[in-house]
Amino acid sequence: MENQLLLQVENLDSGYGFLQVLWNVSLSVAKGEYVCLVGPNGAGKSTFLKSVAGLVSPMAGRIDFSGNSISRLPGDKICRMGISYISEELNLFAGMTVQENLAMGAFTINDKRKIVENQDFVFELFPALKERRRQLAGTMSGGERKMLAIGRGLMSTPSLLLVDEPSLGLAPQTTAAVFRALDTLKQKEVTILLVEQNVTKTLQVTERGYVLEKGKIVLAGASTDLIQNEHVRKAYLGI
Amino acid sequence: MFMAIANSNTLNLERVLTTLKSPAGITISASIIAAVLGAIDNGFYVIVNAIVTGGMWALVAMGLALVFGVMNVVSFVHGEFFMIGGLTAYFTFTPFSDYLMGNPNPLFEAVLPILAMVASVAAGVVVGILCELIVFRPLRNRTREQWVMNSFVITLGLSTFIVNSSQFILGTDFRGIVSYWNYPTLSFFDVYVSFDRFFVFILAMLILSAFWLFMRSSKFGRAIRAVSQDETGARMVGININGIQTLTLALSSALAALAGACLLFMYPAYPTVGLGPLYNSWFIVILAGMGNVAGAAVGAFIVALLQVLTTVYFGEGWEYTVPAACIILVLIIRPSGIFGSEVRGILNQ
Repeated sequence: MENQLLLQVENLDSGYGFLQVLWNVSLSVAKGEYVCLVGPNGAGKSTFLKSVAGLVSPMAGRIDFSGNSISRLPGDKICRMGISYISEELNLFAGMTVQENLAMGAFTINDKRKIVENQDFVFELFPALKERRRQLAGTMSGGERKMLAIGRGLMSTPSLLLVDEPSLGLAPQTTAAVFRALDTLKQKEVTILLVEQNVTKTLQVTERGYVLEKGKIVLAGASTDLIQNEHVRKAYLGI
Repeated sequence: MFMAIANSNTLNLERVLTTLKSPAGITISASIIAAVLGAIDNGFYVIVNAIVTGGMWALVAMGLALVFGVMNVVSFVHGEFFMIGGLTAYFTFTPFSDYLMGNPNPLFEAVLPILAMVASVAAGVVVGILCELIVFRPLRNRTREQWVMNSFVITLGLSTFIVNSSQFILGTDFRGIVSYWNYPTLSFFDVYVSFDRFFVFILAMLILSAFWLFMRSSKFGRAIRAVSQDETGARMVGININGIQTLTLALSSALAALAGACLLFMYPAYPTVGLGPLYNSWFIVILAGMGNVAGAAVGAFIVALLQVLTTVYFGEGWEYTVPAACIILVLIIRPSGIFGSEVRGILNQ
């Protein structure tokens, strides 16, 4: 069990400047797992992902990835280690085409064949991107940009995918397409840590979940158990 | 915009018209008309002069636009890179040139100016890297708050430091040369152009194209653009931001130093020689749109034309006044510059 853990976060405190957002958060993701972190707006879900991705420096605690401590590494090094972070803001390169954005996603890869292979995989996952490969990222719709962001994140052949709010601001159909894509990735044995506000949908598709409230983990367990949990049903499912 | 026209096989009249009606279209067509009228009135040399000096200002201004776009630094030390380039070229060129007086050697005579230019590019790279490592990186690691203002003041300080060090060590002498090559003057359309100017123009065009290719299709050129478009996004895909910042400053100071070396026969090097090129490149960058590198290259030719025409019609003393007045007009009518700014967010600080 111990060496199967891909990501292990222990007692993490994190935040911005004097503002502490996360308090003593512990979470782990095993290889091949599909795990979610749910919670209300402002609970610190994005801050958690940013701390793992190296965009926010943790105040205390450990973050281990494949057995190496990464809590003091900058974002670009963490990406090179195999963690891909797909942010809520997407952070696409608006003045570049779809294809150039994907090429940037493979910045850490030097093998040209591998890049083509990854790009084919992304186009297979999101055929809409293939049609629009010459379009500037900044001129695309919200759903297409989200697909591009996920596609760009996949270009570096990550072993762990951190996805922040993929359903935010999307039409139901597009949301379904994004979740389908994540399912496909799961079947390809990509490890995914998903952060979502859409609790019902998320708990239906993931295997395990954590509930974060006011910067602290209040519940954890199998998704099927969480969906039955009294607190979750009251607070998130409105039942 | 030009790409759009080039890409469509059938020249779509409607598209051409909208392009012409855009601010960029209006400015470019107005400049071309002004150039043609000026040439009819005063002779073809107006155009030749504007193109030759425009090429060099393009090198300086592109570096400035790059530093603003990628590092978010409002640089006022850019002129000093120009000065350092001129000084390096002078001290590389003159000793050997004096030696050649006694011992003529045609091959060495032909190559020596190029060596001087290469030396100044190397000096530019070194100074750029030093500035990044000693000044900008410590500041960046310390705090990103008020970055634009802090880094702006720091460049002012750096500029003062370099100008006064140069004055302290080398004195206030003008260090210039008459020409790099003693080759006969060339004539195009009855306009006489010295070989130096011709060479400098060709070199500028080569560097501009190489730079364009580098930014479009090389891995690190793309990474530079990525950092200027979204720094967080760049970090997320594994780009080392500090490395790109160093590369950017080294590139931009090398371009300015090269321009300083190339124009040594027009602008002899002395401590404050950088002021003119600095003002010029700021005119260009504001006119084109902050941080817009390709726009800066085009804007350089427009400003050069403006200066040539000003010198012809109003006299030499108005050289900076008329472009400055035009910049004020541009800022009133279109604050983001004629080609638009590529930098997001930074102006909201």
